[in-house]
Amino acid sequence: MNMIETHNLTKSYGSFTAVSRLNLHIRKGTVYGFLGPNGAGKSTTMKMFLGLTAPTGGTFQIDGKSYPRDRTAILKEVGSFIEAPSFYGNLTGEENLDIIRKILGLPKSSIEDALRLTGLAEFRKRPAKKYSLGMKQRLGLAGALLGRPPVLILDEPTNGLDPAGIHEIRSLIRSLPEQFDCTVLVSSHLLSEIELMADDIGILNHGRLLFEGTLDSLRSSARISGLPSDNLEDTFLAMIDGDNKCRGRQKGGADR
Amino acid sequence: MTFGIEIKKLKRTGYLPACLGAAALAALFPAVNMAARSETFTVMPGAPLDIVTDASWQVMAMLNVMLLICGACLMYHIEYADSGIQKMSSLPVRPGQIFFGKAAVTALVMAVSLVLETSALSLCADRWFPGFEPDIREIFIRAGFQWITLLPTGVLMLLIASLCRNMWVSLGTGIILVFTLSVLPTDNPAAAFLPFCSPFQTFSSASGQGLIPAFIAVCLTESLCFGIAELICQKLRRYFE
Repeated sequence: MNMIETHNLTKSYGSFTAVSRLNLHIRKGTVYGFLGPNGAGKSTTMKMFLGLTAPTGGTFQIDGKSYPRDRTAILKEVGSFIEAPSFYGNLTGEENLDIIRKILGLPKSSIEDALRLTGLAEFRKRPAKKYSLGMKQRLGLAGALLGRPPVLILDEPTNGLDPAGIHEIRSLIRSLPEQFDCTVLVSSHLLSEIELMADDIGILNHGRLLFEGTLDSLRSSARISGLPSDNLEDTFLAMIDGDNKCRGRQKGGADR
Repeated sequence: MTFGIEIKKLKRTGYLPACLGAAALAALFPAVNMAARSETFTVMPGAPLDIVTDASWQVMAMLNVMLLICGACLMYHIEYADSGIQKMSSLPVRPGQIFFGKAAVTALVMAVSLVLETSALSLCADRWFPGFEPDIREIFIRAGFQWITLLPTGVLMLLIASLCRNMWVSLGTGIILVFTLSVLPTDNPAAAFLPFCSPFQTFSSASGQGLIPAFIAVCLTESLCFGIAELICQKLRRYFE
């Protein structure tokens, strides 16, 4: 069963198409790695899932609920972390989480739970503006994990973390489906990172989905297409490069 | 719930102490004005409370409007500075809930300030006009009227602040609007009803012209229109972000 499904999801800004006819299938209880270079449309897609930006075409369902009809019901089920950590700098980490807790109608114990999961418990009373970049990132994650939502949307969650922090957060994300029975959509521009935590991956370039499936199917698909398959990073780069060249040829043909 | 959350967001920003300070300053002004020029005002004909109000209200109203401008800018600055508003938008909050929560906080702060200010005016009338008897009901009626005339300015300022990610843009816009609109003559009926102008209107002047019901109706309608404009802006924003 798919937890998130999109049908020809499109987002355009004037003549620029950020996301083009996207068809994603994210299975329940899995970690789905959303991969693509900077500007591929990953964050835009995630923002559409959260209602932060309106799609210009297509539809999507999260846990069987459709946007925009069930917007509030969708947001009740989704924990999110988009682009950079969002918080109130004048409030402490604990106060920031308390605001989210009140809106979601969760018990007070959920704050303790989220702080412990992200390793922020000892810094709970410190104003968020005095947090280091890594701590801000953890606070953003704590906000997403609050109440253990059934769907987690995480946009480059390990940005700004030190190697130990990256390892810790990666292990946490990897363990979430099993621990909390949730589905995780996590984006990155590094295949090496996604490789270590995702069950399925989707590769996006210039708003178009180039590949969707398991890592094994990516390897076999690369082998069939004559792309390097020993190192997945090389496969990814070759795939993006091939698509860019193809787009360049199409554009050149259209210009002529 | 939204009201409580909006109050909580203002923690450590200095908003509430600044509001109380500005209200105390505005309340202090008529006392200083009367003490300095009592012989000018005590010989004037008319109701003591009207004389004291007319003598000081322009400065008091300017302080109130400045407080509204700075307050609205501060309220949205904390939303945009660390993208707190983005987190709020990804939570199950109804569109406009944050804006109307902030409007409710502003309205409450202004109500407290105005009761304090009209009480100060009444105390001044009592101090400098023998025979004047302060009336609690009168204080609340006048504070209520001034509150309604401030409402459209507060809501419009919140609308401007919500549209500008950079606090200095909204602050500059507010300052320009207050100085542009406050130079319009207050006896011009059309100008007197405009936001940034209506707060300078006094209860005695409006009741003398029989304009109290008109002020209440127009100011409430303006506030409602600015609230609806915010909802439309929020909806449009989703298409361009």
